[in-house]
Amino acid sequence: MEFAGEQMQSAAQAQGGQNGVSPAEHRARQERRNALMLISPGVVWMALFMVLPMVMVIYVSFWTQTTFTVEPTLTTDSWVRFLTSSTYLASAWTTVRIWAIVLAATLVIGYPVALFIGLMVRNQTLQTALLVICIIPFWTSFLIRVIAWRPMLGTEGAINMILMKLGIVDTPLTTLLFSELAVLIGMTQIYCVFMVGPITFMLSRIDPSVIEAARDLGAGFGRIFFKIILPLSLPGVIVGAIFVSVMVLGEFATAASLSGRKVNLLGNIIVSQVGSLKWAFASVAGVILTIIIAAVITVLLRVVNLRKET
Amino acid sequence: MEARVLKPILGVYCAAFILFLYGPMIILAILSFQGAGGGPQFPIIEWSTYWYQHLLGMTPPSRISRLPIGDSLLRSLTLAMMTTVVSTTLGVITAQGFRTRFKASGAVFYLVILGMIVPGVLVGLGMALLSNMLGIDRSWWGTAFVLHVVYTFPFAFLVMLAIFNRFDRSVEEASLSLGVSPVQTFRRVTFPMIFPGVLSAMLFSFTLSYDEFSRTLFTSGRELTLPLTIYGTFSVEIYPNIFAFGVLTTLFSFTLLLVYALLMLRAVRAGRSFKGQEEAV
Repeated sequence: MEFAGEQMQSAAQAQGGQNGVSPAEHRARQERRNALMLISPGVVWMALFMVLPMVMVIYVSFWTQTTFTVEPTLTTDSWVRFLTSSTYLASAWTTVRIWAIVLAATLVIGYPVALFIGLMVRNQTLQTALLVICIIPFWTSFLIRVIAWRPMLGTEGAINMILMKLGIVDTPLTTLLFSELAVLIGMTQIYCVFMVGPITFMLSRIDPSVIEAARDLGAGFGRIFFKIILPLSLPGVIVGAIFVSVMVLGEFATAASLSGRKVNLLGNIIVSQVGSLKWAFASVAGVILTIIIAAVITVLLRVVNLRKET
Repeated sequence: MEARVLKPILGVYCAAFILFLYGPMIILAILSFQGAGGGPQFPIIEWSTYWYQHLLGMTPPSRISRLPIGDSLLRSLTLAMMTTVVSTTLGVITAQGFRTRFKASGAVFYLVILGMIVPGVLVGLGMALLSNMLGIDRSWWGTAFVLHVVYTFPFAFLVMLAIFNRFDRSVEEASLSLGVSPVQTFRRVTFPMIFPGVLSAMLFSFTLSYDEFSRTLFTSGRELTLPLTIYGTFSVEIYPNIFAFGVLTTLFSFTLLLVYALLMLRAVRAGRSFKGQEEAV
């Protein structure tokens, strides 16, 4: 009996190799090791070229700024200067205000479009075609799309020309270009696609029979919309809102081109401070921008648990 | 009942939205055919291709200087190609790694996705600070290039992840158990199956890098890329030559899209005939 037990033990050992693990486990380990090897180049790249630079921004925001350079002596001077300057606090406020307006505008303008493409158009080919038409401008140059608003909005621009021809206004509107309105219009047009796309995707997944059932049970369109369509499309709204928020908050080119330097976002502050070699100060603006973005994303993710939904 | 009324209204609204999306580009395209003495607005004094010739340096020297696009175009194309190769490779191998469940896969996923979320102006600033501290010269092929990959790699990764999710593992396993080496299996079995994904990842990477600007602004050093050259004209008065450039670069993007669509169509057809053969056998 004893002998047989020993034999079994040794057999098990031979099968599992030196460590006493089963072949299946051994293979799983091997696979895990392979997986780690495969993901490591990407992880290293992101750590070196994304995480490290971001840490650097936080670190340098506490450096001492001299006229043309920064010294690695830690101080909170730049922070104090930012938080006590009404100009810079105003730019933080402008950033948040423009973000809120553009986000609302892209949602209000984009949702009906998504509703039409995702829910009303039931022909698959037409649906795809419409979505592609909406996405195509995304493939063209961002800066050219910004510049394209100048001949539209200027005092001698296309919109003023049409308004004058129609006799709606007598003198050209001067508030269209080089104003906050121009920045809002430009950003809404450029980023609306990122709202339309995800919402359309969610709406096209709604089972038509659910809506039909609700209609058969006597629900009106308003009721169907608020009880079925809106809740089911909410994850799309949140994903779209995250896209739009992140892009609008990090913006500076649209404001620089269309506002005539009247709108100064945090991004514009960073660009101008780097231009005058005020690295520490640019870093403070960068950290504040990061905090705002992180807060916005956290709040948006609170609204809907995306992981649970998808 | 209400839906019947709502549908045409929303249809008209959708058409208006498409006009809103395309309107400025259409106006820009029309104005690019402005005559030699005309400004960047209506009326068109004379239809001509003057500004296209101006862009290509085919007009006699005038008050308005040429857009310095020659060298920067070459740089942007090279940079986009470098970025495409590296980010597609990283995307494929990282997604391949994600086919095995491992600890911290959630954290790695978010780390990669962060690359497309972090505003360019922030990583650009960080990279500039880092290169200052380390005493590395900033250049479009160095500091700007690594940031372009940080931005495009998540797109390539997501595309490949979607492809691998729908991937039939048994075909690969059959090849391996028939004694084909892992390298050969990847080349002859895995790669043809994921090719449409690779193509999409490449298209994403190339287009995003070619157009990338906020990440390049602080990191490219003295030699400018194409978007930076265009950005340089923002502060000064604009002329119709920039409109002509806009039309040409848009046509270039569309050509890329068309090539992609054709290649994709071929890949899909090849896949279909392959399946057909299988059924015939």
